Amino acid sequence: MKKIALLAAALAAAACHEIPQDAAKPYAGKEDTKAYAGDLFKGDKAAYETALAKRADYENEYVRMGDENAHK
Amino acid sequence: MARMKFICDAERCIECNSCTTACKNEHEVPWGVNRRRLVTVNDGVPGERSISVACMHCTDAPCMAVCPVDCFYRTEDQVVLHDKDLCIGCGYCFYACPFGAPQFPQAGAFGLRGKMDKCTYCAGGPEENFSVEEFRKYGRNRLAEGKLPACAEMCSTKALIAGDHAVITRIYKTRVVTRGKGDEIWGWAMAYGGSAKLADQGVTS
Repeated sequence: MKKIALLAAALAAAACHEIPQDAAKPYAGKEDTKAYAGDLFKGDKAAYETALAKRADYENEYVRMGDENAHK
Repeated sequence: MARMKFICDAERCIECNSCTTACKNEHEVPWGVNRRRLVTVNDGVPGERSISVACMHCTDAPCMAVCPVDCFYRTEDQVVLHDKDLCIGCGYCFYACPFGAPQFPQAGAFGLRGKMDKCTYCAGGPEENFSVEEFRKYGRNRLAEGKLPACAEMCSTKALIAGDHAVITRIYKTRVVTRGKGDEIWGWAMAYGGSAKLADQGVTS
């Protein structure tokens, strides 16, 4: 009787575990080609990131219009 | 490491729809699918505010968490993309997304849903860069061309800005400091954290 109670307690405790919800899910699809893998950047990630950051700076008209110090 | 994000400055957006038009044109998005759209609050009332909304490429993306076929992935630039060859069009991601980003083409009669379509941050998808297949399924791959998303680059008032989070946060911060207001209404600090978080990223006024 005691063994059955212990077994039941163990099984009940086993059901209490929680599946982690924040674990990264696996990706089941095809591998994507890197954006900087082509002829333009030739696999140079740093050059790619620099080019995009420079491009993003054009969205700042304080810099684009040459009056970046106007707001100071 | 770059972390690509969008910021829409509600103080600047004039509801011109150039972002939605640029997106539609750039990727030849079919009828009924709107990867980007404008939302206006208090339309017609003085002080109305508009904001351009699309996939925000969440750092902790709920669409990715709920997808039953695990078709979502994150690129090195932290852009959230998906594989249309795997997508079954179940619509779970639509219910999970707080921005209403996932779109479903009406593929046939009786409300039949096609595969999910959403903003790709102009980064294409899991096909060979610049291939016909990539364009047909996901649209143009502007990032691989060294360009930023068409919506942000076409924005007439530069309300919508796109790029690495550190760069666009600096641009936005410059604007807010210059005009002396704005961050209390909408923007990065409201969405992603307060001034302490900006200080963490090395952004100073």
